[in-house]
Amino acid sequence: MCLAGHRVARLPVLLASLLMPLRQALAAGGIDGEVQRQPLNPTAILMFLLFVAATLGISYWASRRTRSSRDFYTAGGTITGLQNGTAIAGDFMSAASFLGIVGLMFLGGFDGLVLALGAFSAWPLMLFLLAKRVRNMGSYTFIDVVSQRLERSAIRIVVLVSSIVVVILYLIAQMVGAGKLIELLFGLPYELAVVLVSVLVLAYVTFGGMLATTWVQIIKAVLLITGVTLTAFLVMRASDFSLDVLLHNAALNHPRGEAILAAGVLFKDPVQIATILVSMVFGTLGLPHILMRLFTVPNMLEAKKSAFYASLFMGYFYLALVLVGFGAVAMVYDRPEFFGPDGQLIGGSNMAAIHLATAVGGDLLTGFMSAVTFATILAVVAGLTVSGAAAISHDLYAQVIRRGEPDIRTELKLTRITTVCIGIIAVILGILFQDENVAFIATMPMVVAASVNFPVLFLSLFWSGLTTRGAIAGALVGLFSSVALIIVGPQVWVSVLGFGQALFPYDYPALFTLPLALGVTWVVSVSDRSARAVIDRRNYHDLLIRSEYGPGDAVKVAQH
Amino acid sequence: MTEQQRLEAIRRKTRQRLGFALLVLVLYFAYVLNYLPLGGFLGERLGDSRVTGSLLMFAGLIVVFIILELLFLVLNRGDSPGKGG
Repeated sequence: MCLAGHRVARLPVLLASLLMPLRQALAAGGIDGEVQRQPLNPTAILMFLLFVAATLGISYWASRRTRSSRDFYTAGGTITGLQNGTAIAGDFMSAASFLGIVGLMFLGGFDGLVLALGAFSAWPLMLFLLAKRVRNMGSYTFIDVVSQRLERSAIRIVVLVSSIVVVILYLIAQMVGAGKLIELLFGLPYELAVVLVSVLVLAYVTFGGMLATTWVQIIKAVLLITGVTLTAFLVMRASDFSLDVLLHNAALNHPRGEAILAAGVLFKDPVQIATILVSMVFGTLGLPHILMRLFTVPNMLEAKKSAFYASLFMGYFYLALVLVGFGAVAMVYDRPEFFGPDGQLIGGSNMAAIHLATAVGGDLLTGFMSAVTFATILAVVAGLTVSGAAAISHDLYAQVIRRGEPDIRTELKLTRITTVCIGIIAVILGILFQDENVAFIATMPMVVAASVNFPVLFLSLFWSGLTTRGAIAGALVGLFSSVALIIVGPQVWVSVLGFGQALFPYDYPALFTLPLALGVTWVVSVSDRSARAVIDRRNYHDLLIRSEYGPGDAVKVAQH
Repeated sequence: MTEQQRLEAIRRKTRQRLGFALLVLVLYFAYVLNYLPLGGFLGERLGDSRVTGSLLMFAGLIVVFIILELLFLVLNRGDSPGKGG
């Protein structure tokens, strides 16, 4: 087949794809609607089975070491900074990160990198602002931190609701993406794929708790980084180890030519870019399952090392994705076997990374990358499940209902029951939402985390004037404004509800909702004259010392 | 160390934390320049190569952020699990 002719024939489809709104490209895994199953790949199946066998073995080993709630939630605080940094990278580098960013680069070149920068840049801020203080102030979850100086029950309930919203929405997005992706990669029916993910995650989490989850995430991070490194190396080998040759070939093969080497192919509006950047960076700093990882290390030094190692791995990963992304443009566009009769890339743009693996590494690398993708989903879902279980059994049962004095055996039992319930809920929601556009569900967690969790956490650590009333008012305004703006925005108002024009033009409203939440918190706090406000402000001094010098050096216990 | 000295040390450290964070945020949001007429120069090729200023900026930001983190850790290398810093 004449490649030039082929390229021209599919040009309208590709240009239509380029105009595709971000929301579609950013769906969990970015795969909506009907998917074309790939032929069964025995290498992928074999590698996946090896991964499952290894991780189940680890879960068995971890289950013998998980005897208390502390073991379950935080692996007993025994993880080293390097291990935790690797696990954080494993928790954070989702399938959407890998397949989604390469898919976006396949469509629009440089523009796809905005998400990579957004995802990466939260980590220096995590090190500078949060790692030490959060580790010194909390025990199991970040909600422990904010409830140290504020009225415990009230603030816990509000932040708990936000955390559960974030975890559930993140979980739905992952499960729907996982079902479609596994259906596509392994040829399994959607429902079976969703059940399989849930059963495996339950096996890891229920028995092995955070220890097993950590090791699943470490293995996955190592596999993903290995796979991306290998693919990037093969791309560079095919380009004579010249970045210039790679970019030249990419520009030659892409319908937009050299335009893909700079900004403006997918996005043109600077406000849209700013909203994405705000949502990504501050959303990451408010994700409960990521913050929870800071408590798995023995002290704040290891917590700081964790944040640094996580940055290092993710920085490397996203730099390697530049080569993989432009490699996909250079080596997939001119291969007609990767395109269907309709001229569209088989499996959609999010399969570009897998097709690239086939192009440069044959079936072996394709099988490896498919298995790695599955492992990626399992690791992320496992982290979310632990976090959701901790929110219910620790934050709600132990701290709110039992006022900090739970029966230890009951708490651990409840944790395991909650884990199973989350697994079942994930399957049900995954199946219910399978035909929906899940893009808005994938957007919401980041926006809600940026508009609710981050402001409350940051101000409780850095502002002496914060009061319980201010924190609750700001959190509620952040929660409702972010949900409302997403509903009237393009993702729900147009794509889901079918209206012609969105009432609010941006997919990620955190640029507006985060300052709004901060402003309301400030106004209500400074005007708060209640007796509780006096206690809240007074608590800051002691907790500031504790946050910097550790629990043993706190002058006195904060008043509640 | 007296209470007052501790508070002074914490204030100093807080200024350092916020300074580093502010620097990262300024550099991070400078990325929006790629989408503004003001940043049009970023879309240009660097010399004869096909590497554009935009691509260099992306890679440069990641490297600079990691260096800033290293610097922050070095500046606070006196930290011990039970001490401030």
